[in-house]
Amino acid sequence: MDNQLTMIAQQEIASAEAVLTQETVQSMTTTDVIAEGPRFLSGAQALMESLIAEGTEVIFGYPGGAIMPTYDALFDYTDRLDHILVRHEQGAGHAAQGYARTSGKPGVCLVTSGPGGTNLVTPIADAIIDCTPLVCIIGQVKSTLLGTDAFQETDIIGVTTPVCKWNYQITHPDEVPEIMAKAFYIATSGKPGPVVIDFTRDAQVGMMDKPYQYKKIEGLASYKPRTVPKDEHVQKAAELINNAKKPYILFGHGVLISGAMEELKAFVEKTDIPCASTLLGLSAMPIDHPNYVGWLGMHGNYGPNVLTDQADVIIAIGMRFDDRVTGDATKYIRQARVVHIEIDPSEIDKIIKAEAPVVGDAKEALRKLLPLVKANNHSTWRNEFKKFDVIEEQKVTRRELKEEGEIKMAEVVNMLSQKTNGEACIIADVGQHQMIAARYYQFKKPHSYIASGGLGTMGFAIPAAFGAKKGAPDREVVAFIGDGCFQMTIQELGTIAQSGLAVKLIILNNNYLGMVRQWQQLFFEKRYSFVELKNPDFVTIAKGFGITGHTCSERDNLSDSLDALLKSDKPYLLEVIVEKEENVFPMVPAGASVVDIRLD
Amino acid sequence: MTTYTICIFTENTFGLLNKITILFTRRRVNIESLTVSETERKGVSRYTITIKHDKREEVEKLVRQIRKVVEVLAVFGYLDDEVVYNEIALFKIATPIGTRPIDIETINKVYKAWVVYWGLDYVVIEKAGNEAEIMDFFRYIKPYGILEFVKSGRVAVGKTPQGLVEYLPQEVHGEYYA
Repeated sequence: MDNQLTMIAQQEIASAEAVLTQETVQSMTTTDVIAEGPRFLSGAQALMESLIAEGTEVIFGYPGGAIMPTYDALFDYTDRLDHILVRHEQGAGHAAQGYARTSGKPGVCLVTSGPGGTNLVTPIADAIIDCTPLVCIIGQVKSTLLGTDAFQETDIIGVTTPVCKWNYQITHPDEVPEIMAKAFYIATSGKPGPVVIDFTRDAQVGMMDKPYQYKKIEGLASYKPRTVPKDEHVQKAAELINNAKKPYILFGHGVLISGAMEELKAFVEKTDIPCASTLLGLSAMPIDHPNYVGWLGMHGNYGPNVLTDQADVIIAIGMRFDDRVTGDATKYIRQARVVHIEIDPSEIDKIIKAEAPVVGDAKEALRKLLPLVKANNHSTWRNEFKKFDVIEEQKVTRRELKEEGEIKMAEVVNMLSQKTNGEACIIADVGQHQMIAARYYQFKKPHSYIASGGLGTMGFAIPAAFGAKKGAPDREVVAFIGDGCFQMTIQELGTIAQSGLAVKLIILNNNYLGMVRQWQQLFFEKRYSFVELKNPDFVTIAKGFGITGHTCSERDNLSDSLDALLKSDKPYLLEVIVEKEENVFPMVPAGASVVDIRLD
Repeated sequence: MTTYTICIFTENTFGLLNKITILFTRRRVNIESLTVSETERKGVSRYTITIKHDKREEVEKLVRQIRKVVEVLAVFGYLDDEVVYNEIALFKIATPIGTRPIDIETINKVYKAWVVYWGLDYVVIEKAGNEAEIMDFFRYIKPYGILEFVKSGRVAVGKTPQGLVEYLPQEVHGEYYA
């Protein structure tokens, strides 16, 4: 009994001390912080300094109880840190993803404990599978309350462990600089990904015991990803490539992440090898490049899918043989010898056995490989793709672009592509419109197709478009969004309106959850189970948020409508009423081999 | 099904056990036994995990995924003949007055087990060995009346001339890491 009493007494003393420290912190002004000499900061201030030291310019966040001390510190840093107040934490996460993917810098999120953290879980899971660097700072109850079911307490370390690259709970202000340096290093190095910092309230308000000092980290004992591939691996790969009769390059997101676009171009031009992209690799090669043959996967192009079956050497660069790319993996490229350039060693042999694995950064690998590969001419092999292009054009593209009946999604994307000269940054949500945007936009610039690939998160586009614009303010950013997706993160219209950024949103409205409906039509005997939507008046809703917009339901108005959208220097919403039961083709049915791709 | 012993060296930080075990859960691999202890190097923990699996390839993938956990320093996967391994078991045996006395000589000489505690009405016997040896002793001692039986997870050392910790400094973590 005595012991318990002593413990309680000690706790009281401790909390009294905490209050004292808090007051000290609040009485400190910015000038104190900037003053020369050893600086003793609060944990929250140290966090701000650390973010600045890492070059952070924007934070996407939402305040709440357990993160309030950090928001209070942020109040003194608004001259150096821009904070975007989102409307829901999921929006913060996706916006940070969009930002990371156009700016190349890690996206930073700041949210509170409990629901703030759990709302961020979807973007974290999305970012790990799409290799997007995020630093998520999540408030936590004070450390003495951990495990007591305190108000807004969630074990966010436990919740996020399976879906993040790394997480850590900060319980003392002294830990802040070192942990933040680790967080940024881990998020951005190797295969990038989200890291989670669980920041207890007492660590935010408490003062550091030692002077604040920041040192960037460039490697950890337990984690130091290999970026430069081994010579013997590159040698072996070059041998395979040089002896190939029908080599075929499949490239992915890794090319964009490592910035290997020029290296890839030089490589294909020297070797004359045809190359195809995964969904997330789109725009790493300009679509009009003679060696570029199209994109791969479930709704990818006809030739690029079918001809994987004829290549004798497959060169996979910065891609991971996702099941949406391979179809039935047991039947995929069985005849080919495989070179796999990949930064994450655990991806090697995971799905497809590689005869010549090259572990390293795509840019470094291609640089090392370039002098070793022979100049070649593969025009006969490349021309085989063209035969399939003709069939696809006749059976799919022509039908989808035919100007009759209701407006088709393809027409909208195609027309926007022409009007923007293929130079806009396209954000897509998830579903039919996502595939159509990927099919019909003629990408000319890198980092121009941003979508949720691996996780397929509906509701990604509105916040991601905002983040993308924030990361690339000089680019035209246009999002294609389905009517279903739009209603999943519709509240972020508020964020866009408040910022005034000229984010352009196009709803391709077919009053259906189109992709699910398509599957129900094709594989579930047209049993349309809960896919039809009674939609709100989107334009009125946008207007309510202060965003101008209009609806286009006639083909004759489409061109003018897109002009109005593009001309606006403010956020703009265009709703296009499209054909209700349009299907996306080509299509590899789930579980089928890619050669069994259907054109209708 | 083949038994694999997976030795994992990690930094000694909070929550790491969870980070490692969820990788097994995710791939639906059941952990047969798990032992964690600090190594001869301070701050480095060693996990010894045994699993049963029928596909070596899948075990290799699992090992590579474990290596991906940031705090993991190195992972080694072994077949039974590549390691020296043991477990330890404690048997609490009832010895009330009037029952057949336990045969200490057989226990010591035949089964290499030792009485480590003498209670008033019971004894506690410690038996170390591999699983088969322990179960052998289990069958022998069972007729005497087992009040409690508890067995540790496997501990194992590799049959290599070097110590595994030798591999840990920054430079060597496996083929693909710098």
